Amino acid sequence: MHQFFQQLLDGIASGALYGAMALSIVLVYRASGIVNFAQGEMAMFAAFIAWQSYAWGLPILVAILIAMVVAFFAGAVFERVLIRPFGTEPSGHAALVIVTLGLMLMLNSGAAWIWGHLVKEVPPVFGGGAISIAGGSMSRQNLGIILVVAVGAAVLFVLLQRTKSGLAMRAAASNPESARLSGIPVGRMLMIGWALAGAIGALVGALAAPTLFLQPNMMATLLMYAFAAATLGGFDSPVGALVGGLIVGVSENLAGTYIGFIGNEFKQAVALFIIMVVLLVRPQGLFGSRTVTRV
Amino acid sequence: MTTKTARAQGGGRSRKGLLKRLAAPVRPLDAPIWLRLGTFAVVLAIGVLIPLNSPTYVNFDLSMVMVYAIVGMGLNLLTGFNGQISLGHSAFFATGAYIAAVMIKNDYNYLLTIPIAVVVTWVLGYLFGMPALRLRGLQLALVTLSLAIVTPALIKRLDNITKGQEGINVFLPEPPAWTGLAADQWVYFICLIALAIAWILTRRLSTGRVGRSLVGIRNNELVAQTLGVRASRVKTGVFALSAAYAGFAGVLYTYVVQFVGPDSFGLVMAITFISIIVVGGLGTISGAILGAAFIQYLPKVTSGAGDSAAGFFYGLALVAFMFLMPSGIAGLINLALGPMVRRLPGRRPLAAAPVGSGDMAQVADAPGDEPAEPAEGAAEPGAMSAPRAGGADSSG
Repeated sequence: MHQFFQQLLDGIASGALYGAMALSIVLVYRASGIVNFAQGEMAMFAAFIAWQSYAWGLPILVAILIAMVVAFFAGAVFERVLIRPFGTEPSGHAALVIVTLGLMLMLNSGAAWIWGHLVKEVPPVFGGGAISIAGGSMSRQNLGIILVVAVGAAVLFVLLQRTKSGLAMRAAASNPESARLSGIPVGRMLMIGWALAGAIGALVGALAAPTLFLQPNMMATLLMYAFAAATLGGFDSPVGALVGGLIVGVSENLAGTYIGFIGNEFKQAVALFIIMVVLLVRPQGLFGSRTVTRV
Repeated sequence: MTTKTARAQGGGRSRKGLLKRLAAPVRPLDAPIWLRLGTFAVVLAIGVLIPLNSPTYVNFDLSMVMVYAIVGMGLNLLTGFNGQISLGHSAFFATGAYIAAVMIKNDYNYLLTIPIAVVVTWVLGYLFGMPALRLRGLQLALVTLSLAIVTPALIKRLDNITKGQEGINVFLPEPPAWTGLAADQWVYFICLIALAIAWILTRRLSTGRVGRSLVGIRNNELVAQTLGVRASRVKTGVFALSAAYAGFAGVLYTYVVQFVGPDSFGLVMAITFISIIVVGGLGTISGAILGAAFIQYLPKVTSGAGDSAAGFFYGLALVAFMFLMPSGIAGLINLALGPMVRRLPGRRPLAAAPVGSGDMAQVADAPGDEPAEPAEGAAEPGAMSAPRAGGADSSG
């Protein structure tokens, strides 16, 4: 029982990261209707920027902030330069998948080119040590991650649901044509969606770096968990992304502990399994809205 | 605002001159049959002669080009013709490679591994394609991408068979004495024969009924179904077939490289495979070879800049080709040779020739003005689905 509770706590901590990453994927999906396959690599690259700033002597919090700002603008630039020229019609999606894959490869190899494949040491933002919670223990870093993700999600929720620009963003995402007719600058809103996603990804990258070990391939697995979370929650639901992240994090940890074949090294299979099952059984996810195709 | 709308409607492209011509969908070359067969024969003859006078490393590189070209052809059937994007073909490739490595290590005849790997990857592809056909576009990309990410971990997990991280060294037996060939030449010829088979098979498939149903599903699945195409069966079938191509190529990879290890078959390889068909030209057969040459030789050009530079340029090429030249190198060649080829005698015109016109040149030009494919020119702004419904390949 104690072990179960401990696994649950660890699962929630990693699930918070998956959920946050899934949130950035969902933001892009809602804005542009595509999955940005480069999202994980953007986060990884931002984590490297944070590390580099830290290595140059800045305090770690400032370094993360810098990385988030850079990623914010990078996200906007990517949307404007690489994505928008293909239009928002579904027929351009296949081309966009390939473009984001190209971006993914460029960022991945680019980071390896600049910083090499050796693992970089990143200090935990919230200090070392652990806190005991109801019999289980949780590292201060993990607790910090959960809090940051919770606060970040709350801020985002307020931004999207309670502000004028949030309303404009939601309008632009759900019906570009009508939004445009009512005077909303749809293009700018899509750009902001990408920019926000970039900033969130950067935060996730910087928070995950101490546990995942900072190196160019660190995000592949996390990206996959995030995809599983987004699929489970529904690709157009920010709430679903967070809930999905928690479910994926917990089930991955429990499966790793209690299912012999999966063990500690093969937990990734859980993500693939979840993605497959959800897409087959309930393609729109738990919170997603069903799309009806009219011909 | 209005300009933005207009651009979105025009497929988001408002470029001029050369750039515009490059970005436009390229018409099939439609070369006369004698030119097609002739080109094939010349390429084959050159392919036979090269290894006899080349050092080992040249043969090695060319063999790898052929291995990748086979993957590219399979992937092209799936993505170029059928419009399904798979990012997971590195998994099938790895399956083929590991089947070969494990069997050769256990003293089975190395040629026996080919049919077994092809059958196994075909079945795997079929099983994977069955749910996949319910998924479309992005979802399929998601699932297959996850497959690519999981593959190295799975190989490490099955370490009692695959030897995990350590990998397997493979020692091929000497080539038969009657051939008088060196080991690298022998492997080269196996790859050449395999490539020729793949070429012919792909060509047969892509130009006939099957090819039309593939393209039909790509362009509009519902319409294709209405016309009697069994979309789900075709999609699963082509997924399984392209997986088998990848498995076949995986076996050849083991022959050529003589080593398999889990980290070769990761995500980067999966996306590199996509580079093959995008750079070479989606929906073209020769494009697979051109793209394969690109990914094999690019690292040699960039090696001075560092090991990771090649990956960066693969990615850059993906983006750049999608923007500037969505029809790839093959499309560029089509564009360059098109005017010349259209003047050659002996073409089989696409449209019915006007009776009694007598003038060969006029007949040959007629289809040029009015492409015979119906349903073409329909709004297809997406660069991916540049309509190439006709004899959808170039002859080179």
